[in-house]
Amino acid sequence: MSGDAAPLALPLSRLSTGACEATTLYRELRKPLLRYLVCLGLSSDEAQDVVQDAFLILHRHLASGGSQENIRGWLFRVAHNQARNCQNRYDRNFSAASDAEMDAVSREATPERALLEKEKFQQLGKAIRLLSASERECLLLRAAGLRYREIGEVLGIATSTVSDTVDRAIKKLAEKCNV
Amino acid sequence: MCNFSGKLVAWLDHELPAEEAAEVERHLETCSECRGNVDAFKRVSVEFDAYCDEAIAPNARPGMPRWVPAVTAAGAVAALLVLFLILPRTPGKSPALHAPDAAVTASPAVVAKVLPAPVRSVHRVHRQHVVAPVQNQIENSALAQNQNAYSLPDEPVIQIAIPADEMFPPGAVPEGMHFVADLTIAADGSAERLRLRPRLAGFERRTTQP
Repeated sequence: MSGDAAPLALPLSRLSTGACEATTLYRELRKPLLRYLVCLGLSSDEAQDVVQDAFLILHRHLASGGSQENIRGWLFRVAHNQARNCQNRYDRNFSAASDAEMDAVSREATPERALLEKEKFQQLGKAIRLLSASERECLLLRAAGLRYREIGEVLGIATSTVSDTVDRAIKKLAEKCNV
Repeated sequence: MCNFSGKLVAWLDHELPAEEAAEVERHLETCSECRGNVDAFKRVSVEFDAYCDEAIAPNARPGMPRWVPAVTAAGAVAALLVLFLILPRTPGKSPALHAPDAAVTASPAVVAKVLPAPVRSVHRVHRQHVVAPVQNQIENSALAQNQNAYSLPDEPVIQIAIPADEMFPPGAVPEGMHFVADLTIAADGSAERLRLRPRLAGFERRTTQP
Protein backbone atom coordinates (compact mmCIF):
# COMPACT_ATOMS: atom_id res chain seq x y z
CA MET A 1 0.00 0.00 0.00
CA SER A 2 1.25 3.37 -0.95
CA GLY A 3 0.67 4.85 2.45
CA ASP A 4 3.05 2.38 4.00
CA ALA A 5 5.94 3.75 2.02
CA ALA A 6 8.09 5.95 4.18
CA PRO A 7 8.97 9.34 2.77
CA LEU A 8 12.26 9.20 0.96
CA ALA A 9 15.01 10.29 3.31
CA LEU A 10 18.26 10.79 1.49
CA PRO A 11 21.32 12.84 2.37
CA LEU A 12 20.48 15.39 -0.26
CA SER A 13 22.63 18.09 1.27
CA ARG A 14 25.62 16.37 -0.28
CA LEU A 15 23.95 15.47 -3.57
CA SER A 16 25.64 18.18 -5.59
CA THR A 17 29.09 17.12 -4.45
CA GLY A 18 28.76 13.36 -3.99
CA ALA A 19 28.09 11.02 -6.88
CA CYS A 20 27.17 8.26 -4.42
CA GLU A 21 24.09 10.07 -3.13
CA ALA A 22 23.00 10.96 -6.64
CA THR A 23 23.32 7.32 -7.61
CA THR A 24 21.24 6.28 -4.62
CA LEU A 25 18.54 8.75 -5.52
CA TYR A 26 18.56 7.59 -9.11
CA ARG A 27 18.26 3.94 -8.07
CA GLU A 28 15.42 4.71 -5.69
CA LEU A 29 13.30 6.72 -8.05
CA ARG A 30 14.15 5.64 -11.56
CA LYS A 31 11.83 2.64 -11.67
CA PRO A 32 8.81 4.31 -10.06
CA LEU A 33 9.24 7.24 -12.42
CA LEU A 34 9.51 4.96 -15.44
CA ARG A 35 6.43 3.02 -14.43
CA TYR A 36 4.44 6.19 -13.89
CA LEU A 37 5.44 7.59 -17.26
CA VAL A 38 4.81 4.37 -19.17
CA CYS A 39 1.40 4.03 -17.53
CA LEU A 40 0.66 7.58 -18.58
CA GLY A 41 1.19 6.44 -22.15
CA LEU A 42 4.81 7.15 -22.98
CA SER A 43 6.89 4.50 -24.70
CA SER A 44 9.80 2.95 -22.84
CA ASP A 45 12.29 5.07 -24.77
CA GLU A 46 10.30 8.24 -24.21
CA ALA A 47 9.97 7.47 -20.52
CA GLN A 48 13.70 6.88 -20.18
CA ASP A 49 14.42 10.15 -21.95
CA VAL A 50 12.03 12.00 -19.66
CA VAL A 51 13.60 10.42 -16.56
CA GLN A 52 17.08 11.37 -17.71
CA ASP A 53 15.92 14.90 -18.42
CA ALA A 54 14.27 15.07 -15.01
CA PHE A 55 17.49 14.06 -13.24
CA LEU A 56 19.44 16.52 -15.34
CA ILE A 57 17.04 19.27 -14.32
CA LEU A 58 17.35 18.11 -10.72
CA HIS A 59 21.12 18.39 -10.93
CA ARG A 60 20.85 21.94 -12.26
CA HIS A 61 18.23 22.76 -9.66
CA LEU A 62 20.45 21.63 -6.81
CA ALA A 63 23.60 23.10 -8.31
CA SER A 64 21.92 26.49 -8.47
CA GLY A 65 20.99 26.24 -4.80
CA GLY A 66 17.36 25.19 -5.28
CA SER A 67 15.21 23.77 -2.51
CA GLN A 68 16.05 20.26 -1.34
CA GLU A 69 12.68 19.59 0.27
CA ASN A 70 10.59 16.76 -1.06
CA ILE A 71 12.86 15.85 -3.94
CA ARG A 72 10.67 12.85 -4.77
CA GLY A 73 7.60 14.99 -5.33
CA TRP A 74 9.74 17.51 -7.19
CA LEU A 75 11.05 14.85 -9.57
CA PHE A 76 7.59 13.44 -10.23
CA ARG A 77 6.31 16.92 -10.95
CA VAL A 78 9.12 17.58 -13.43
CA ALA A 79 8.57 14.19 -15.08
CA HIS A 80 4.81 14.75 -15.15
CA ASN A 81 5.23 18.11 -16.87
CA GLN A 82 7.72 16.66 -19.32
CA ALA A 83 5.23 13.89 -20.11
CA ARG A 84 2.56 16.51 -20.70
CA ASN A 85 4.75 17.83 -23.49
CA CYS A 86 4.28 14.48 -25.21
CA GLN A 87 0.55 15.15 -25.19
CA ASN A 88 -0.18 13.19 -28.35
CA ARG A 89 1.03 9.97 -26.74
CA TYR A 90 0.02 10.85 -23.20
CA ASP A 91 -3.02 8.61 -22.81
CA ARG A 92 -1.99 5.82 -25.15
CA ASN A 93 -1.63 2.92 -22.74
CA PHE A 94 -4.52 3.34 -20.39
CA SER A 95 -6.92 4.69 -22.96
CA ALA A 96 -6.37 1.92 -25.49
CA ALA A 97 -4.62 -1.04 -23.94
CA SER A 98 -4.23 -3.75 -26.53
CA ASP A 99 -4.96 -7.44 -26.19
CA ALA A 100 -1.27 -8.08 -26.69
CA GLU A 101 -0.53 -6.17 -23.52
CA MET A 102 -3.15 -8.15 -21.66
CA ASP A 103 -1.69 -11.39 -22.98
CA ALA A 104 1.54 -10.51 -21.24
CA VAL A 105 -0.27 -10.75 -17.91
CA SER A 106 -0.62 -14.50 -18.05
CA ARG A 107 2.47 -15.64 -19.84
CA GLU A 108 3.81 -17.54 -16.83
CA ALA A 109 0.59 -18.99 -15.39
CA THR A 110 -1.23 -22.29 -15.94
CA PRO A 111 -3.89 -22.18 -18.70
CA GLU A 112 -6.87 -22.01 -16.29
CA ARG A 113 -5.26 -19.47 -14.05
CA ALA A 114 -4.01 -17.57 -17.07
CA LEU A 115 -7.54 -17.29 -18.43
CA LEU A 116 -8.90 -16.06 -15.10
CA GLU A 117 -6.12 -13.56 -14.67
CA LYS A 118 -6.49 -12.36 -18.20
CA GLU A 119 -10.22 -11.79 -17.73
CA LYS A 120 -9.61 -10.09 -14.41
CA PHE A 121 -6.99 -7.79 -15.85
CA GLN A 122 -9.12 -7.01 -18.88
CA GLN A 123 -11.94 -6.07 -16.55
CA LEU A 124 -9.61 -3.92 -14.49
CA GLY A 125 -8.17 -2.36 -17.63
CA LYS A 126 -11.65 -1.40 -18.81
CA ALA A 127 -12.46 0.06 -15.40
CA ILE A 128 -9.21 2.04 -15.36
CA ARG A 129 -9.95 3.44 -18.80
CA LEU A 130 -13.31 4.66 -17.54
CA LEU A 131 -11.63 6.77 -14.87
CA SER A 132 -10.97 10.41 -15.50
CA ALA A 133 -7.41 11.50 -16.28
CA SER A 134 -7.13 13.10 -12.86
CA GLU A 135 -8.30 9.93 -11.12
CA ARG A 136 -5.82 7.82 -13.05
CA GLU A 137 -2.98 10.19 -12.31
CA CYS A 138 -3.79 10.22 -8.63
CA LEU A 139 -3.87 6.43 -8.49
CA LEU A 140 -0.65 6.11 -10.44
CA LEU A 141 1.16 8.53 -8.16
CA ARG A 142 -0.30 6.77 -5.14
CA ALA A 143 0.94 3.46 -6.54
CA ALA A 144 4.37 5.07 -6.92
CA GLY A 145 4.40 5.64 -3.17
CA LEU A 146 3.65 9.35 -3.04
CA ARG A 147 1.67 10.77 -0.15
CA TYR A 148 -1.49 12.74 -0.83
CA ARG A 149 0.34 16.00 -0.16
CA GLU A 150 3.03 15.08 -2.69
CA ILE A 151 0.42 14.03 -5.25
CA GLY A 152 -1.25 17.39 -4.79
CA GLU A 153 2.07 19.13 -5.43
CA VAL A 154 2.72 17.11 -8.58
CA LEU A 155 -0.72 17.70 -10.03
CA GLY A 156 -1.19 21.21 -8.66
CA ILE A 157 -4.32 20.40 -6.66
CA ALA A 158 -5.24 20.53 -2.96
CA THR A 159 -4.49 17.59 -0.68
CA SER A 160 -8.18 17.28 0.18
CA THR A 161 -8.97 17.06 -3.52
CA VAL A 162 -6.42 14.27 -3.87
CA SER A 163 -8.05 12.42 -0.98
CA ASP A 164 -11.51 12.73 -2.53
CA THR A 165 -10.21 11.76 -5.98
CA VAL A 166 -8.36 8.67 -4.75
CA ASP A 167 -11.36 7.61 -2.68
CA ARG A 168 -13.69 7.98 -5.64
CA ALA A 169 -11.34 6.20 -8.04
CA ILE A 170 -10.73 3.22 -5.77
CA LYS A 171 -14.45 2.81 -5.17
CA LYS A 172 -15.15 2.93 -8.91
CA LEU A 173 -12.56 0.24 -9.58
CA ALA A 174 -13.82 -1.95 -6.74
CA GLU A 175 -17.39 -1.63 -8.00
CA LYS A 176 -16.50 -2.35 -11.65
CA CYS A 177 -14.26 -5.27 -10.81
CA ASN A 178 -16.53 -6.77 -8.14
CA VAL A 179 -13.67 -7.32 -5.76
CA MET B 1 -24.16 3.70 3.60
CA CYS B 2 -21.96 3.93 6.63
CA ASN B 3 -20.75 7.37 7.76
CA PHE B 4 -17.15 6.17 7.75
CA SER B 5 -17.31 5.07 4.14
CA GLY B 6 -15.56 8.22 2.91
CA LYS B 7 -12.58 7.75 5.24
CA LEU B 8 -11.70 4.15 4.60
CA VAL B 9 -9.34 4.66 1.65
CA ALA B 10 -7.55 7.52 3.40
CA TRP B 11 -7.28 5.36 6.55
CA LEU B 12 -5.85 2.56 4.45
CA ASP B 13 -3.28 4.98 3.03
CA HIS B 14 -2.33 6.26 6.53
CA GLU B 15 -3.44 9.71 5.49
CA LEU B 16 -5.84 10.40 8.35
CA PRO B 17 -4.85 12.33 11.46
CA ALA B 18 -4.24 10.04 14.44
CA GLU B 19 -7.53 10.92 16.12
CA GLU B 20 -9.63 10.18 13.05
CA ALA B 21 -7.68 7.02 12.35
CA ALA B 22 -8.44 5.78 15.86
CA GLU B 23 -12.15 6.45 15.32
CA VAL B 24 -12.10 4.46 12.08
CA GLU B 25 -10.32 1.57 13.77
CA ARG B 26 -12.90 1.48 16.56
CA HIS B 27 -15.66 1.54 13.97
CA LEU B 28 -14.14 -1.28 11.97
CA GLU B 29 -14.26 -3.54 15.01
CA THR B 30 -18.04 -3.42 14.92
CA CYS B 31 -18.91 -2.83 11.23
CA SER B 32 -18.53 -5.86 9.00
CA GLU B 33 -19.64 -3.89 5.91
CA CYS B 34 -16.75 -1.45 6.28
CA ARG B 35 -14.32 -4.28 7.00
CA GLY B 36 -15.43 -5.89 3.73
CA ASN B 37 -15.00 -2.59 1.91
CA VAL B 38 -11.50 -2.12 3.33
CA ASP B 39 -10.57 -5.59 2.12
CA ALA B 40 -11.97 -4.80 -1.33
CA PHE B 41 -10.05 -1.50 -1.48
CA LYS B 42 -6.87 -3.30 -0.48
CA ARG B 43 -7.34 -5.91 -3.19
CA VAL B 44 -8.10 -3.40 -5.90
CA SER B 45 -5.06 -1.35 -4.87
CA VAL B 46 -2.83 -4.40 -5.15
CA GLU B 47 -4.37 -5.31 -8.51
CA PHE B 48 -3.88 -1.77 -9.75
CA ASP B 49 -0.20 -2.01 -8.84
CA ALA B 50 0.07 -5.35 -10.64
CA TYR B 51 -1.69 -3.89 -13.68
CA CYS B 52 0.83 -1.04 -13.78
CA ASP B 53 3.69 -3.53 -13.56
CA GLU B 54 2.25 -5.51 -16.46
CA ALA B 55 1.67 -2.36 -18.47
CA ILE B 56 5.36 -1.55 -18.22
CA ALA B 57 6.54 -5.13 -18.80
CA PRO B 58 6.05 -5.24 -22.63
CA ASN B 59 7.85 -1.91 -22.88
CA ALA B 60 10.73 -3.13 -20.74
CA ARG B 61 11.45 -6.23 -22.78
CA PRO B 62 14.95 -6.19 -24.13
CA GLY B 63 15.15 -5.38 -27.79
CA MET B 64 17.86 -4.45 -30.18
CA PRO B 65 20.13 -1.90 -28.55
CA ARG B 66 19.62 1.54 -29.97
CA TRP B 67 23.25 1.76 -31.07
CA VAL B 68 23.04 -1.30 -33.35
CA PRO B 69 21.43 0.44 -36.37
CA ALA B 70 23.92 3.27 -36.06
CA VAL B 71 26.87 0.88 -36.03
CA THR B 72 25.42 -1.08 -38.95
CA ALA B 73 24.90 2.10 -40.91
CA ALA B 74 28.42 3.25 -40.09
CA GLY B 75 29.79 -0.07 -41.32
CA ALA B 76 27.87 0.19 -44.56
CA VAL B 77 29.00 3.76 -45.04
CA ALA B 78 32.60 2.66 -44.46
CA ALA B 79 32.20 -0.11 -47.06
CA LEU B 80 30.71 2.32 -49.55
CA LEU B 81 33.50 4.76 -48.81
CA VAL B 82 36.07 2.11 -49.66
CA LEU B 83 34.21 1.47 -52.89
CA PHE B 84 34.06 5.15 -53.64
CA LEU B 85 37.76 5.64 -53.12
CA ILE B 86 38.58 2.82 -55.47
CA LEU B 87 35.99 3.61 -58.16
CA PRO B 88 37.75 6.50 -59.95
CA ARG B 89 40.46 4.11 -61.11
CA THR B 90 38.19 1.80 -63.10
CA PRO B 91 39.40 0.49 -66.49
CA GLY B 92 38.64 2.39 -69.66
CA LYS B 93 39.07 5.77 -68.06
CA SER B 94 42.77 5.31 -67.56
CA PRO B 95 44.73 3.72 -70.39
CA ALA B 96 47.63 3.21 -68.07
CA LEU B 97 45.58 0.87 -65.94
CA HIS B 98 44.09 -1.10 -68.80
CA ALA B 99 47.11 -3.31 -69.44
CA PRO B 100 47.27 -4.76 -65.92
CA ASP B 101 43.60 -5.65 -66.31
CA ALA B 102 44.30 -8.32 -68.85
CA ALA B 103 47.21 -9.58 -66.86
CA VAL B 104 45.22 -9.86 -63.69
CA THR B 105 42.19 -11.58 -65.14
CA ALA B 106 44.40 -14.19 -66.74
CA SER B 107 46.58 -14.49 -63.72
CA PRO B 108 46.70 -17.96 -62.14
CA ALA B 109 47.05 -16.27 -58.79
CA VAL B 110 43.61 -14.70 -59.14
CA VAL B 111 41.96 -17.93 -60.20
CA ALA B 112 43.74 -19.77 -57.45
CA LYS B 113 42.41 -17.30 -54.95
CA VAL B 114 38.88 -17.54 -56.22
CA LEU B 115 39.00 -21.30 -55.96
CA PRO B 116 40.24 -21.31 -52.40
CA ALA B 117 43.63 -22.67 -53.24
CA PRO B 118 46.92 -21.44 -51.76
CA VAL B 119 47.28 -17.76 -52.45
CA ARG B 120 50.61 -16.49 -53.58
CA SER B 121 49.85 -12.81 -53.60
CA VAL B 122 50.35 -11.60 -50.05
CA HIS B 123 49.28 -8.13 -51.04
CA ARG B 124 45.86 -9.27 -52.22
CA VAL B 125 45.25 -11.46 -49.26
CA HIS B 126 46.05 -8.56 -46.99
CA ARG B 127 43.60 -6.22 -48.73
CA GLN B 128 40.97 -8.87 -48.76
CA HIS B 129 41.11 -9.27 -45.00
CA VAL B 130 41.30 -5.58 -44.36
CA VAL B 131 38.24 -4.82 -46.42
CA ALA B 132 35.87 -7.65 -45.58
CA PRO B 133 37.31 -10.70 -43.85
CA VAL B 134 34.00 -12.17 -42.71
CA GLN B 135 32.25 -11.80 -46.01
CA ASN B 136 35.18 -13.35 -47.83
CA GLN B 137 35.25 -16.32 -45.51
CA ILE B 138 31.60 -16.92 -46.24
CA GLU B 139 32.11 -16.52 -49.94
CA ASN B 140 35.13 -18.82 -49.97
CA SER B 141 33.15 -21.44 -48.09
CA ALA B 142 30.42 -21.25 -50.71
CA LEU B 143 32.99 -21.47 -53.45
CA ALA B 144 34.50 -24.59 -51.95
CA GLN B 145 31.11 -26.27 -52.03
CA ASN B 146 30.34 -25.37 -55.61
CA GLN B 147 33.50 -24.69 -57.49
CA ASN B 148 31.99 -25.11 -60.94
CA ALA B 149 29.61 -22.25 -60.48
CA TYR B 150 32.37 -19.89 -59.44
CA SER B 151 35.32 -20.96 -61.51
CA LEU B 152 35.15 -18.22 -64.10
CA PRO B 153 38.55 -16.72 -64.74
CA ASP B 154 37.32 -13.17 -64.13
CA GLU B 155 35.87 -13.90 -60.71
CA PRO B 156 36.43 -10.91 -58.42
CA VAL B 157 38.97 -10.98 -55.68
CA ILE B 158 37.07 -8.77 -53.26
CA GLN B 159 33.40 -9.16 -52.48
CA ILE B 160 31.70 -6.77 -50.12
CA ALA B 161 28.27 -7.66 -48.78
CA ILE B 162 25.99 -4.67 -48.33
CA PRO B 163 22.70 -5.06 -46.39
CA ALA B 164 19.72 -4.09 -48.54
CA ASP B 165 18.39 -1.91 -45.72
CA GLU B 166 21.39 0.36 -46.13
CA MET B 167 20.51 1.07 -49.76
CA PHE B 168 16.74 0.91 -49.82
CA PRO B 169 13.98 1.82 -47.37
CA PRO B 170 12.76 -1.05 -45.12
CA GLY B 171 10.44 -3.39 -47.00
CA ALA B 172 11.50 -2.22 -50.46
CA VAL B 173 13.34 -5.46 -51.18
CA PRO B 174 12.45 -9.04 -50.16
CA GLU B 175 13.60 -10.21 -46.76
CA GLY B 176 16.94 -12.01 -46.83
CA MET B 177 18.21 -10.16 -49.86
CA HIS B 178 21.50 -8.36 -49.73
CA PHE B 179 23.87 -7.00 -52.31
CA VAL B 180 27.41 -8.02 -53.11
CA ALA B 181 29.84 -5.61 -54.65
CA ASP B 182 32.45 -7.49 -56.70
CA LEU B 183 35.82 -5.87 -57.22
CA THR B 184 38.79 -7.08 -59.17
CA ILE B 185 42.08 -5.70 -57.95
CA ALA B 186 44.92 -5.23 -60.35
CA ALA B 187 48.54 -5.96 -59.59
CA ASP B 188 49.21 -2.31 -58.79
CA GLY B 189 46.36 -2.25 -56.30
CA SER B 190 43.87 -0.42 -58.49
CA ALA B 191 40.28 -1.59 -58.74
CA GLU B 192 38.71 -2.98 -61.85
CA ARG B 193 35.31 -4.35 -62.78
CA LEU B 194 32.99 -3.11 -60.12
CA ARG B 195 29.76 -5.08 -60.22
CA LEU B 196 26.80 -4.92 -57.84
CA ARG B 197 24.81 -8.16 -57.61
CA PRO B 198 21.66 -8.90 -55.60
CA ARG B 199 21.76 -12.05 -53.51
CA LEU B 200 18.90 -13.94 -51.92
CA ALA B 201 20.01 -16.04 -48.94
CA GLY B 202 17.43 -18.82 -49.46
CA PHE B 203 18.24 -19.11 -53.15
CA GLU B 204 21.94 -19.47 -52.41
CA ARG B 205 21.33 -22.27 -49.94
CA ARG B 206 19.29 -24.21 -52.46
CA THR B 207 21.90 -23.91 -55.18
CA THR B 208 24.70 -25.14 -52.95
CA GLN B 209 22.92 -28.35 -52.02
CA PRO B 210 23.95 -31.42 -54.04
